[in-house]
Amino acid sequence: MTKTYERLTAVAVLLMLLAAGMIFLYAPEDYLQKEPQRIFYLHVSAAIAAFACFLAVLVGSVIYLRTENARADRLARAAALVGVVLTTVTLVMGMLYAKPIWGTFWTWDARLTSTLVLWIIYAGYLLLRRLAEPGPQVARYAAVAGIFGFVDVPIVYFSVTWWRTVHPGPVIVSNALPPEMLITFLVTMACTLFLAAVMVGIRYRIETLLDEAPSGAEATIRGTQREPELAR
Amino acid sequence: MIYLVAAYAAAVVILGGYLAWSLRSLRDLSKRGVEPTKFVG
Repeated sequence: MTKTYERLTAVAVLLMLLAAGMIFLYAPEDYLQKEPQRIFYLHVSAAIAAFACFLAVLVGSVIYLRTENARADRLARAAALVGVVLTTVTLVMGMLYAKPIWGTFWTWDARLTSTLVLWIIYAGYLLLRRLAEPGPQVARYAAVAGIFGFVDVPIVYFSVTWWRTVHPGPVIVSNALPPEMLITFLVTMACTLFLAAVMVGIRYRIETLLDEAPSGAEATIRGTQREPELAR
Repeated sequence: MIYLVAAYAAAVVILGGYLAWSLRSLRDLSKRGVEPTKFVG
């Protein structure tokens, strides 16, 4: 099983290299923004992949609350972690994109602030899962947090239309990209979504192994219990 | 140019670091899973 995930990771890395090739060699340079515009491709793709992960958290959480199915809870846990990683990529790349274009790394703009809030919500979700004693009660609380946390996803998406912001509006749906840029973006997005799916798959497998480990060992592996307590 | 390089370098570090850590954890847990008694002590 581990070999399968290693092979899938290798495929995902190759696909990301293909996307990088298109971003740096195929896509034309933007007339106004010049080189920094190439940050856009992975910045937006990572954001969309993060949204997909948080949607998986929502689905897993709803199923868990209805059925108490452990697999749904595992999916939510796995997708939340990957979603936070991808949101981190989005925020860091966004800041490095903002500096040459806006002249500042950060501004308390509606899109940036709501994205930071999204990161905090799911980082809090992960913290809850890590610090609380594993069990059905914490899984239920986390499921509720996973459902309510998703409310911020449409807020992030529509923030550029609901409020006056410095962040650009949606360029994909408004058909504002030339064909080469659009193809590069779509390829990058597909590759990033595949990478995200592989990352969720690996984390899901890790969560399964942790759940199946003897209870004391599971706590030790998670880092929530110290070694001497295990001996009791 | 420096921001473009820094942005993609940061993405490689975050995503690559996370992937490497995940695969290492998975490999370790899979190996340990074969001998569950090792943990019980």
